[in-house]
Order: sequence, then structure tokens, then C-alpha cells
Amino acid sequence: MKNNLSSPELWLTLHGDILYRYGLARVRDIEVAEDLVQETLLAALKAQTNYAGKSTEQTWLIGILKHKIMDYFRKASREQVQEYDDGFASENEDDYFDQQGNWQVDFSPWSKPDQSMEQEQFMHVLQNCIDRLPKRMAQLFVMGEFEDMKSEEICKVMSLSSMSNFWVMQSRTRVQLRHCLDINWINQ
Amino acid sequence: MLTCKQASFLASKKLDKKLTIRERFNFSLHTAMCGLCRHYAREIDALHKLVQKMGKTEDTLLSKNEQLSEQSRERIKQEIAKVLHPTE
Repeated sequence: MKNNLSSPELWLTLHGDILYRYGLARVRDIEVAEDLVQETLLAALKAQTNYAGKSTEQTWLIGILKHKIMDYFRKASREQVQEYDDGFASENEDDYFDQQGNWQVDFSPWSKPDQSMEQEQFMHVLQNCIDRLPKRMAQLFVMGEFEDMKSEEICKVMSLSSMSNFWVMQSRTRVQLRHCLDINWINQ
Repeated sequence: MLTCKQASFLASKKLDKKLTIRERFNFSLHTAMCGLCRHYAREIDALHKLVQKMGKTEDTLLSKNEQLSEQSRERIKQEIAKVLHPTE
């Protein structure tokens, strides 16, 4: 079945919030996410003659947004992020392990949230925990989990200087997230 | 023998990439004896699967009332109008 595009004047009303949330979830920055919606819709205006009708209008717009997100990460100042990453990788301070590399945080048992009600609460806690991460870590984590991309590609798009930096950052993010969930998610 | 810090690193790396034989051996040896790291590995594995699933369903890890501000909506509307009706 062939889909048709609606009038471009309606795109913002129909899909603006969905595009915004899609972008915000990944870039974790309100202003950037707003700009991405604008860039996406303007690019879509230019590209509407190429629309083949194979996907829905919304899927088509999200496809354009995905490219804009990748462009954003590529453009985001490389030197600045590499400085951050290198500092991060060589940092010795550690709140989660002692000098001998043993855990120094408590573990309380949290089981997988399976009830839908619980799930909603759990998502809320998870979202707050992600928002508490440094932005760069949150972006990397979400991109790593959400996108069907190889770690090598993510490293390239997000200008990481080495794969080992990527593993180190993902590992620290997971340690922090798990701990945050542990202390904020009380599963009765 | 790995430290817990090293084991936690492998538990995380394992979710993104296949470990080498040596890494797998060391990790199994450590977790066979360390309940905390087994617990940790299980939890981040569950978290990994949950977040991946959310990415696929576009349940975007944001609160439901997160939406474009009126101000930016108006700005985008104007930008679109400029392209659609360049003479106005």
C-alpha cells in the first residue's frame, strides 16, 4: 500500500512532539532537540518529492531525524569531547570500588519489574538516574543501547579516540546506573 | 584472579561485544566465586535488555509530558512558512 504525505503545514502539529522526544531521548539536551526538529522538518520539505510512500509519514520523518542526530554528534566539537574522555579514562577516583578493586557499595536485591504498574514507576526512576549522569555518558549509553549500530560505528560517530575508552565509559555508566536504581527503586 | 572492578568491566563489555576466550575464562572464574559480581552481572544484563527493548518500541526514557515548548513550536512554524511561502 502506498502512503501519501499530508500537507507540510500539518507536520509540526502531527509529529512535532514525537520527533522532539525521539531526539531528546538521544541527545539529552532540550535546545539541541528543538533545533533537530526544525532541521528535520526543513530537510523533509526539500526531500518530499523523494518520498516513495513505502513507509508512513512519521517513519519517514524519523528516518530524516536519525541522520540529523548522527550529524549533530559528528559535528559536536571533537577536541572537547576527547579531552573529556581522556580525562575520564585516566581518572583514578572511584566511588564504587576500593583501592584493591573490591565493591564498596551495597547491593540490595531488585528484581526485574514485570508488573506493568511497577514498570511505569521503574521507568520513571531509570529516567531520573539517566538524567543524573554527565551528558556525554548519557548520550553514549542511550545511543549504545537504542541504535542498531556496532560499537565501532558509535565510537566513530561520537568521536571517541579508542574502543577501550568506549568500554570504560559504558562500564562506569552501568555501575553508576545500577547503583542509582538500587538506592532509588524500592521493589516491595 | 580478577578484581571486582575488572570483573564489572567485563560484565559490561560482554553486553556490547563478544569477549575473548581469556576474558571469558577469567570472568567465569571470578563470578564462580563472587556472589556480588554475579548479582551485578545479572542486573546490568536485565537493564541492558530492558533499555534495548525500549529503544525498539520508542518508549523513549522521557516523562510523558515532555513536549516542544510553545516558543520553539512557533519559531519552527515560522521557519516552515518562510520556505512554503517565500514571498510573504
